[in-house]
Formats: sequence, structure tokens, C-alpha cells
Amino acid sequence: MQRDWISPPTSGLGVSLAALGKRFGDRDVLHDIALDVAPGEFVAIVGRSGCGKSTLLRLLAGLETPTAGAVRLGGAAQAEHRDEVRIMFQEARLLPWRTVLQNVQLGLDKSDGGARARDALAQVGLADRAGDWPAVLSGGQRQRVALARALVHRPRLLLLDEPLGALDALTRIEMQRLIETVWRELRFTAVLVTHDVAEAVALADRVLLVEDGRVTLDEPVALARPRAHGSPAFAELEGRVLARVLKETPPAAEETPRPRLVA
Amino acid sequence: MATTRSRLRGLTPWIVPLLAIAGWEAASRSGWLSTRILPEPLAVAQAFWSLLQSGELERDVAISTGRALAGLAIGGGLGLVLGLLTGTFRTAETLLDTTLQMVRNVPPLALIPLVILWFGIDESAKLFLVAIGVFFPIYLNTYHGIKSVDAGLVEMARSYGLKGWALYREVILPGALPSILVGLRFSLGLMWVLLIVAETISAQSGIGYMTMNAREFLQTDVVLVGVLLYALLGKLADLVARGLERRFLRWNPAYRPALA
Repeated sequence: MQRDWISPPTSGLGVSLAALGKRFGDRDVLHDIALDVAPGEFVAIVGRSGCGKSTLLRLLAGLETPTAGAVRLGGAAQAEHRDEVRIMFQEARLLPWRTVLQNVQLGLDKSDGGARARDALAQVGLADRAGDWPAVLSGGQRQRVALARALVHRPRLLLLDEPLGALDALTRIEMQRLIETVWRELRFTAVLVTHDVAEAVALADRVLLVEDGRVTLDEPVALARPRAHGSPAFAELEGRVLARVLKETPPAAEETPRPRLVA
Repeated sequence: MATTRSRLRGLTPWIVPLLAIAGWEAASRSGWLSTRILPEPLAVAQAFWSLLQSGELERDVAISTGRALAGLAIGGGLGLVLGLLTGTFRTAETLLDTTLQMVRNVPPLALIPLVILWFGIDESAKLFLVAIGVFFPIYLNTYHGIKSVDAGLVEMARSYGLKGWALYREVILPGALPSILVGLRFSLGLMWVLLIVAETISAQSGIGYMTMNAREFLQTDVVLVGVLLYALLGKLADLVARGLERRFLRWNPAYRPALA
């Protein structure tokens, strides 16, 4: 399907973390995180709840300040690229007292903000809801508006903090496709935090596992896009990462029958 | 038909008041109710009409409304400003909030002896009483409204580059507005109560003066006109408050006018 995108492809912003750490009081949430994300790469971070993956994303967004190390974006200090980084939260966080269009316009110049916001809404398929209040939208539509609000700023780094976690299965798949299409078209760098391994494998070039405050797995996903959830290679990779997250013995090891004790 | 049904539903709230007035009229006519205690509704209506024609009514209502609104503007304005201050700035909160919460527990009417000593029985005494009464509902609700603005929205707006006045205008004020309007509604009710007391103690004009004057001459019909006027003005104030809520909170499904 051919669509008019809101902006010409922008180059993604590379991310580089070295010895990054974050403490809350005497609780060590993240330590010694070293990570490089190439410009335009799509990285998914998985992990159990409370492992620190959301904190890592909030550090990238500049919503938290690291207690050790630093975040470098595009080879420069984080503050220099603040306007090129946008985050999508788990909840849409739309302003309920602003219309859908006004929400997308948030933080834009008055002069061309309206036209750009309309384009962004069309891009997520909600052009006809521009005048509605967020209260009348469904959960999926609200996240679409939140995505449009992020895209309208032409971000070079888009951070996604489990934005699809609260959606039903069908809407999730739709949103995953939308995010992938937009990412391929606009070529921004994307970092997605999710607890859904299938989602990570479906979208990402690399899947990272965060455990006990450090990155313990860095798995490239070499599947061709668009990825079919049902394909054997997909299922094999998903199973492997999931087993690693759950700290189970890999399925391959279980295939060898255990010696039976015969009395 | 849907229209006739909705029209009937609109009339339902008026059945009880109309019945009460009919019963009152019947009791007065049969002589069961003495005119000294309660004049018949017709006499009240006549008194209302003659007061209206003489221009007294208009003058007194205008004066009372002026006092009420001036008191509201002073007390409510101060409450709003201080509420915004203590809600927004931690220093202002630690400095002022405890004091204000202590003063809040003094009933404004308990201050009447002091107010008479300070201001005499002047205009300023009435304004002071109304202002101090409406101050606290607006102050408390503004403070609470600012404090309860969704922190997630503020964080989102900051990450989108909003700060200072833009953040205040886009996120904090609209977020606090439902609460501020609740405070305003409380204040509008209190405003009339306090004004009635102030005008009844001493006044040379206004609705309170009119009723107290009528009492001297045993004109119960005029006294009742005054009482009914207060009721009407109170209802009017409430309608204004509700209109403001519908206008400013139309984004909120809870405040949207019901679709019959």
C-alpha cells in the first residue's frame, strides 16, 4: 500500500552506553550496561518485570539521570539531541482536555503544526478522528494517536516502553505492523521494551535480555521482513529466547530421554 | 413520541413544589394558617409585584448581588492565587499551607463580633465576611487540584519539550480545573449564606435590609419575598457554576449533557 509519509526519511541516531548504572537509594537497578545501537537499528529489550528494562529506556529518554556512566547519542552528549528523541509510554498519556488533533500538535510550532499533525494522523489511519476527544477512542486508537504525536516530531530515536502491553491480541498485531511499516519508511532508530518475546522477535533486528540489572543476552534476528509468526525459524528463535528468559533448559536438551531407573 | 416524553420528564421535578404551593394556598384560604405566620402565596406574589413596580426590589437585588460578587472576587481571587502558589511551589506550601489549614477551622460566622469591632457595620464588614467564607473552598480545591494532576501527563509533556508557562497552560491548569470548579460551586453557595447573615445584622440597603425592615412592620409577605429571592439567586449561582463546568469540562464524559 502506497501512502504519503509525513517526512522524508531521516537518519537514525546511534546509541552508545558504557558502564551505565542506576541506583534508587541503596537499590542497584542497573549496573555496567554497555550497549551500542547502530543508526536505524530496531532493538528490542525483553526481561521479567522489575528487571530494570523500563529504567534503561527511561535513561535513554533522559527521564532519569544515570548514577554511573553516560548515555551518548549520535556520538554526542544526550542533551544535544533531546528534541530528536521521542518516547511512547505504556499508557497513551493523551491530554483528555485536548482534541485528538491538538494532542498530536503538542509542542509544535503554531504555523505549520496543524498541517503536519493532520498528516501524522493520516499516517496512523485516524484522519477522520481529528476533532474527537481522547475519551471516546478505544485503547488501540489512543496508542495510534500517541504514535502520531511522536512521529510528527520526526524523531531520530523512538523509544517504545511496552506501548502495546494493554492492547488485545488483534490490535497488538495491527499496531506491530504499523510500527514496523513506519520504522522501515522513516529509518529512525527504535528501542522497544516489551515482555512479549514474540513481539520482540517479530519487530527487532536484535533482541536483548536484561536480567538482574545487566544485559545477559544479545541475540541477532536474521529473519526476513515482514516476518510470519508461524514460520519454523521464527518459532525456533522465539522458543530459544523465551527459554532463556525463563531460565529453563533449552528444548534441545530435553529431547534426549532421561535414563529410567529400573528397580 | 420521544419529544413529548422528554418534555414530561422535564416537568417531573416541578410537581412537588407546585403541589406544596397549592396546599399552602388552600391552608391559608381556609384560615388554618394565620397570615401572621405565613401569608398566602397570592399575597407574596402581590408583594413581589408592588416591590418590583416601586423599583425597590431591583435596587436591593442589585446591591446585594454587587456585594456578593465583590466578596467572591476578593476572597475567591485570593484563594485561587494562593492555591496555585502552594500547589505549584514546595516552598510556598511549607510556608503557608499549615497556617491556612489552621485558620480554615475557624467558622467565618464566629468572627462576627470581631468583624463589627474592626469594620463597624460598614460595607467592608459584609465584604470581609463573604470574602473569608468563599476563600477556603476555592483555596483548598485549587491546591488539591494542582496536587492531583496526573504526573504521567506532566512527564509526557516535559519529554515533548514543554516547560514553564506552556506546561502550566497545557497540562497543569486544565488538569486542576475540575477541582477548581468544584471549589467555585461550594463558594457560590456559601457566598449567599454569609451575605444573608451580614445583611441581617445591619444594612441600609439590600435584600437583608428589606426583610429586616419588613419584619419591623409585620409585613410577612415582604419577608417571604426576600427569602424566595435568596433561594432564586442561590439557584441562579448554581446554574452559572454548572454552565461553567459544561463549558470548560466538555472533554470529560462525566460533564457532557445527557443525551435523552
